[in-house]
Amino acid sequence: MSVTLQSPEREPVDFVQMLAKVCLVTFLVSLGVIVIYPLIWMALNGFKSNSEIFGNPFALPTSFTIGNYISAWNQGIRNYIATSIIVTLGSAICTVLVSAWTAYGLTRSSLPGKPYFVGIVLGGLMLSPTVAVIPLVRMMQDLGLYNTYWALIILYTAFRIPFTTFLIRAYMLGLPRDLDEAAIMDGATEGQIFWKVILPLCKPILVSCVILHVLFAWNEYLFAMIFTSGADLQTLPVGLTSIMAKHGTNYAIVFAAMTLSALPIVIVFFAAQRFFIRGLAEGIGK
Amino acid sequence: MADLSLRNIRKSYSNLEVLHGIDLDIKSGEFIVFVGPSGCGKSTLLRSIAGLETITSGDLIIDGERINNVAPSKRGISMVFQSYALYPHMTVFENMAFGLRIAGLPKAEIDKRVRNAANILQLDSYLQRLPKALSGGQRQRVAIGRAIVRDPRVFLFDEPLSNLDAALRVATRIEIAKLKQSMPDVTMIYVTHDQVEAMTLADRIVVFKDGNIEQVGTPIELYKNPANLFVAQFIGSPSMNILEGKLEKDLSGSAKCKLDCGVALDLGVLPAGVSAEDRLSIGIRPENTQIADAKTNGPVFTGTIDFVEHLGEVQILYVDMPGSDRKYLIKVDGTGTYARTDKIRFTARPQDVHIFDANGAAIARLSQAGVQKQSEYGMQ
Repeated sequence: MSVTLQSPEREPVDFVQMLAKVCLVTFLVSLGVIVIYPLIWMALNGFKSNSEIFGNPFALPTSFTIGNYISAWNQGIRNYIATSIIVTLGSAICTVLVSAWTAYGLTRSSLPGKPYFVGIVLGGLMLSPTVAVIPLVRMMQDLGLYNTYWALIILYTAFRIPFTTFLIRAYMLGLPRDLDEAAIMDGATEGQIFWKVILPLCKPILVSCVILHVLFAWNEYLFAMIFTSGADLQTLPVGLTSIMAKHGTNYAIVFAAMTLSALPIVIVFFAAQRFFIRGLAEGIGK
Repeated sequence: MADLSLRNIRKSYSNLEVLHGIDLDIKSGEFIVFVGPSGCGKSTLLRSIAGLETITSGDLIIDGERINNVAPSKRGISMVFQSYALYPHMTVFENMAFGLRIAGLPKAEIDKRVRNAANILQLDSYLQRLPKALSGGQRQRVAIGRAIVRDPRVFLFDEPLSNLDAALRVATRIEIAKLKQSMPDVTMIYVTHDQVEAMTLADRIVVFKDGNIEQVGTPIELYKNPANLFVAQFIGSPSMNILEGKLEKDLSGSAKCKLDCGVALDLGVLPAGVSAEDRLSIGIRPENTQIADAKTNGPVFTGTIDFVEHLGEVQILYVDMPGSDRKYLIKVDGTGTYARTDKIRFTARPQDVHIFDANGAAIARLSQAGVQKQSEYGMQ
């Protein structure tokens, strides 16, 4: 009896909820398609010939041969990827370590005037890389670092420290002070507290920072173009433009090269996705 | 073994002084409990002893050595934190071994000490677990174990049971008492605001208020002979009833207190310093108040029950008294039948009546006297 009485009231609610759910799922699927389709299209075009691309750009390839990928690999992509990996990993490690130490000092030390130091470090977020290019070129030339890996590693580190420090600091503020004090009672030095207690606890935010830095450094174009000139020191974004210049009409190879350049980032992101989302959420929440 | 002496310890944050010259001697092997309301400075003093706070002035002496400027880990002190402060990314074994590894002890010695402590605390089967896989009580035991392995001269406990539920708190309290029995030479200082913990664990209790020590003594001393109104009301649950009145002396030197509720109490002979017309406070504990019946000689106080709190074994009567805006609490047997608006008569033995002067300091009587009924004021 109660079922028959309740069902007429529930039906409209259920229908509205269902409709809302369908709309939401449709919206999200559409969004997913908008993001993923260009990537799939790019990867598929890497399997086509140039004439196929221009003849029927949206058709599937007639055959899945990896000739274009091999050609792209042999025409410099291999070197560009190697350079990008060195620069990205080098700068990621430097950025995260320096930022973590800075954040540790800004959150857990009894530094006098700490708010001002926080302001100075975070003020770095407002510095424009473009404005600083000319003096930086001069500096790098004077230091003998121009057209070396170190030029990019140092610049990427310097310009990403404020943002990375901001994220790690927010996370560290949420770690209880009792941990430091327990470690002090155990006889740990500041360095031991940092390395053995605080840094391992920051793993989620450190992974997030590494991913964000990898995304930045892997795709960075301005500094990579200005501070490197030789083909053996060019990173992927610069190298890809030179492939386009050299093979302006062979878009199949360009698509294959772009797909190859995106692959490492996609793999890194999916491998560390769990930490990435947790790290960001916890960093902001605490 | 360690004798601990605090000499005129002061602690200030900028211009705010939170400890106003603490003097205290703690004998080796004593279990001392610091109690007091929030913000009274008990935790600050504990942290100063640990070395986590710098002492602004004064001397902290362990076994004759001034240790104000000695690093916390070199003082021979271990501390158990309120939040346990276990390293979440380390196993139980690693948590307990952390300090020993930093001290550079040989691996075999570390292993021996940790397993010995784990055995005492019944943590043997949890050594490879992370703290998140332990219950609150087990985590507390790990925190204690981490303190034990360092073989300290002084143990500090900063409200170690406050994060546990009521049942676990009782069980862990007993474990701490047993731990103390098994380590008779180790000095322990325990901070709590729970007076049950203080009364059951302490050899001596130190009562703090506003950065000063109000009284130091055994639990029974504090309960029976509180030095002042604050201690009288802080120790004991429910707290002591306080009645205000005015002193009247007769020619024989015997003193009477005319309470604001209209009842007069014969206080016996008081010290010479107490003069007539002084305002006094009279304290009577709820459990020392008896319901008067027809056979009772001199039932004095009267009032109306406002609320009855049943606790099973006992019940607490909240009584409105004329001339007083405070409730008078009476702890009575749980079997009696009482109801709101009942009028009751009650009394107390002379030796259970505490007297405090206008400044709140306890007044010792030179001779006892009875509680006498002077009027039926308030009997409606």
